[in-house]
Amino acid sequence: MSNDTRFHDIKDLPSTHLLGSGTPMCAGCGGLQAVSQIYDVLGPNTIFVNAAGCMTLLSVYPFTPFRGSWLYTSMGSAPAGAQGVRDALDILRDRGKIEASEDMQVVVLTGDGSAYGMGLSATSGAIDRGLDFIYLCYDNEGYGNTGQQTSAATPHAARTSTSTGAAGYPGFKKDLFSIWVANGASYVATVIGTEPLDLARKIEKAAKLDGPRMILSLAPCPTGWDYDPKDSAEIGRLAVKTGVWPLKEFADGEVTHNKKPRKRVPVVEYLERQGRFAHLFEPERQDRVLADIQSKVDRYWDAVGS
Amino acid sequence: MYRIRFHGRGGQGIKTASRILGSALFAEGYEVQDAPRYGAERRGAPIFAYVRADRAPVYERGIIDHPDLVVVTDESLVQVPAAAVMTGLCDRSVLVIASAAEPELWQQRLGVTCRVLTLPPGPGEGAALMGAASVGAAAKLIGQISAANLEGAIRAELEGLPSDVIERNVGRALESFDSFESHAGCVSEGEALTRASATPPAWVELEVEPTSISAPAIRGEATSEQVQTGLWRTMRPVIDDSLCNHCSWICSTLCPDAAIDVGSDREPIIDYEHCKGCLLCVAVCPSHAIVVEPERAVDEHRSDP
Repeated sequence: MSNDTRFHDIKDLPSTHLLGSGTPMCAGCGGLQAVSQIYDVLGPNTIFVNAAGCMTLLSVYPFTPFRGSWLYTSMGSAPAGAQGVRDALDILRDRGKIEASEDMQVVVLTGDGSAYGMGLSATSGAIDRGLDFIYLCYDNEGYGNTGQQTSAATPHAARTSTSTGAAGYPGFKKDLFSIWVANGASYVATVIGTEPLDLARKIEKAAKLDGPRMILSLAPCPTGWDYDPKDSAEIGRLAVKTGVWPLKEFADGEVTHNKKPRKRVPVVEYLERQGRFAHLFEPERQDRVLADIQSKVDRYWDAVGS
Repeated sequence: MYRIRFHGRGGQGIKTASRILGSALFAEGYEVQDAPRYGAERRGAPIFAYVRADRAPVYERGIIDHPDLVVVTDESLVQVPAAAVMTGLCDRSVLVIASAAEPELWQQRLGVTCRVLTLPPGPGEGAALMGAASVGAAAKLIGQISAANLEGAIRAELEGLPSDVIERNVGRALESFDSFESHAGCVSEGEALTRASATPPAWVELEVEPTSISAPAIRGEATSEQVQTGLWRTMRPVIDDSLCNHCSWICSTLCPDAAIDVGSDREPIIDYEHCKGCLLCVAVCPSHAIVVEPERAVDEHRSDP
């Protein structure tokens, strides 16, 4: 990958930013951190099709942080909206109304509530049709905009406003990456805002490809995960160092892990910094649950191999 | 009728404070209405909460424009126009500001004649307990709430939280309750509002216009920059130039709000009009060149001659 990238070093990252400031996202939003970096790499010729969620508050009349068009859809229908925009652009090109250089990248912007749950059917249909679009999910592991209810992306044992018991959420986080791979995507990658160089290279690569492409970004969320906004970067870094959030990509029929933590930090260090896992540490430490979470991460990396 | 207005920032427990005060008044036999009003609905953004209490049923609704008591849990809100802290204050109103400064200084600064009291934050006390402190103060100033009913309302509202959190809040509220003993009952009930006494909003009548004018195509880029999210901030990051290594690709890239610009010598420049004060840059700066200053200390520097 390093040969055909313009991002060789962290110093090559863009020093001016396309996304306007003044948005209503929470202070310390890990999702906005990733979206801002991704927009810098994609450039201004980008149309965002936004499934309802936190990020739909980005563009509230008369204010927008974007440099171009933005379309708001319901939670279940963002890929259908993207299909309409892509078709319109194709028709304009076929009729000679726009030049190839004026063509635009169609990007769905969605949270995990939509991506892992109620938008999945329309998404699978768009992949079936081979829709040429990028699907960008900021995953804060719950329905954040409405008060962090459990979503299909919520990790095991996390407390949410609908999983308040001593055990937290009894289910397990859905593997959306593998679903996209199995469904026939042309490119799938996980990113995180605290690994900006890895992120920039993947966005650059995705932008050059055609077909259905997904970027799945973990989005540390001070409000929903219950921690101080200044810890957003540290929690993002720990997600990678503990192996909870593997940085990987699928291209040309193969899954590659881009950053294998050489010596993984114990998962506890990631969990104990977040209020949503506080019930695993007090009033009594729930060693069995903590060991379960650790062993699931260990099993994942054992299967990946070194 | 008592009309109480709380001003605070998201995350300070203002909504909870208004519910506790409402429940405590209810326990004293009042008819009560309490309602929060969120603006940006984000931690750090200005929010409001209203409590009405009367011996008769409360039919009045909406925003409180004629408060008997105003409680401000963050002094930096006073200068924020959108927070409208001063709205409707009159000579008989009571204004409580969470501040270490003297009440007389605030009276002078604000040019008001009403009673001003200050609620000094405890040593090393975070924003989290300001809600409890303010509800304790409000209960004593109204003078109709017993310590037992105040405590009962707090315990009922916070039920389910860890017991040390509940005890800290109860302790802080009761301490604040006792500290205002000399002003007990200084808040008086306001007059009933009539249709005749209501002031119409200052709206502008608009003619019906053709669609091409009234719904124009929006072509502005990044117009969100007109929104000053810097007003959300209670603490500000300040770069110490002597320590900064100009590795701005770190702080500028990681700032979630694109609020750190990069200068010609790759030096980072913080955009205080938009910085929300998350302080993520402070945490990631490799040379520890970014320090944190409370907003009011910054104001004091600015006013130095």
